Amino acid sequence: MLLDLLRMVRGWVAFSVSGKYPERFINITSRHRVRLWNVHRSEDCFTACMYRSDYRRIRPLAHGAGVRLKVISKNGLPTMLFRYRERVGILIGACAFVLSIFVMSLFIWSIDITGLETVSRAEMNDVLRDHGLYIGAFKPSLDVQKLSRDVMIERHEIGWMAVNVTGSYASVEIKEEAVPPEVDDIYSPCNVKARSDGVIVRIEAAEGETMVMEGSGVIEGQLIVSGIRTDEQGTHRLVHADARVMARTTRQASFSMTEQMKLLRPNGEEAERQMLSFLGLCFPYRVNAVDSPDTVSNTDTEVPAPLGITLPIGVVTDHVNALSEEEMILDDNSAEELLQQEARLYEAFALQNCTIESREYRLKHNDGVYTLYATYTCVEDIAYSDPIGTDENTDLTPYVAPTEKK
Amino acid sequence: MKEHQKEAKRKNMFLSTLNAPCIELSGNRELLIEGSKGVLEYATDSVRINTGGMIVNVAGRELNLRCISDSALIIDGFIISLSFTV
Repeated sequence: MLLDLLRMVRGWVAFSVSGKYPERFINITSRHRVRLWNVHRSEDCFTACMYRSDYRRIRPLAHGAGVRLKVISKNGLPTMLFRYRERVGILIGACAFVLSIFVMSLFIWSIDITGLETVSRAEMNDVLRDHGLYIGAFKPSLDVQKLSRDVMIERHEIGWMAVNVTGSYASVEIKEEAVPPEVDDIYSPCNVKARSDGVIVRIEAAEGETMVMEGSGVIEGQLIVSGIRTDEQGTHRLVHADARVMARTTRQASFSMTEQMKLLRPNGEEAERQMLSFLGLCFPYRVNAVDSPDTVSNTDTEVPAPLGITLPIGVVTDHVNALSEEEMILDDNSAEELLQQEARLYEAFALQNCTIESREYRLKHNDGVYTLYATYTCVEDIAYSDPIGTDENTDLTPYVAPTEKK
Repeated sequence: MKEHQKEAKRKNMFLSTLNAPCIELSGNRELLIEGSKGVLEYATDSVRINTGGMIVNVAGRELNLRCISDSALIIDGFIISLSFTV
């Protein structure tokens, strides 16, 4: 391999030797320290190869040895340069290619971020950009140690970070900081009260004295499990009451919309804009526009990655769809359908901790406004902790059940 | 007297070893000769090399001189026999 490269750089000649005593030619080359290789014998001559510079030197001596030399082919870099000596463009192109490779290798082509869990990739890209690491960043000016340190100081959610720059590829490895779990307060005294009105279905008391029975109704703020325990001697002891109180509750919600609606719908008019992105810079080369002021666009970025190497060049295509405003008047059915969709969203988000036993919808139409009244019967945990003050001014009598005097 | 003769003989052997070519044979496919003084005959079935003190005769099929320098050469091909003419 190395020898082939050397031969290519120096240039070599394949030639044939014919004459009465071709062995004499071999001995002449040996005496003049000329190297021959690939010597093949044929019927009346033999072929061989030697360096281009040696061939010029050995040619007159071969004439003296009574053999005839005939060039079969000239190979190597000097031959190629001689062949293309008048085509300056090729030389300039080759120089430009080498120069562009050298210049391009001074910039970051692609960044890969691994280890993100809670922090979004876009957010991390912005942070890295603020600290000088982005596609197209000048590599010699990067101080990856300082960058990692600064990002870790700035963003507390990042516990560990390392930036490895290999060639023009930057790999950012991140370990997010482990958040310590919240420790439940199980020592400070408190009561368990009802968050809302309802009928108790089940009480799962872990600590404290249950004050209401299952099946009884409670109102908002009513004491359910007391944090004051009284023992056989009549001594009161403050505890951290903890209970899960499942109660049947009623929830009401209303959703409304006007019967006249304005909708933005795609009108079929489309446009496509294309940009060439190079080292983070965008050069638009195909610009189209739509007449409508309201548009929705969808952007695709195509980045070539031959052999897994992401190149710093890509095509960004922006598909723009024009929207036009349409007015429509809702009838009862379509209004109910739309409002029920809103109600289902409400159930999914606002009532996600409840088990909905039944739901009832009622639609009303007044003054051009449709209103959907929804009533839900749910089973949910209505318990909340209400701390008991323990300083000397706290009056504990409301919490203490009256005891008989002996 | 005997000791003197032995010493002279050993000295002659040493000098002849210095003058002898170094021959390295890889199977019967490649032959390296260091200390060659010239090629006396080259054909596809036989090659004769002058090494100064002796002539090395290589017989075979499709013999090629892969590389020739001022004092060494490599013959490759199917070598059938190797003989020496002193």
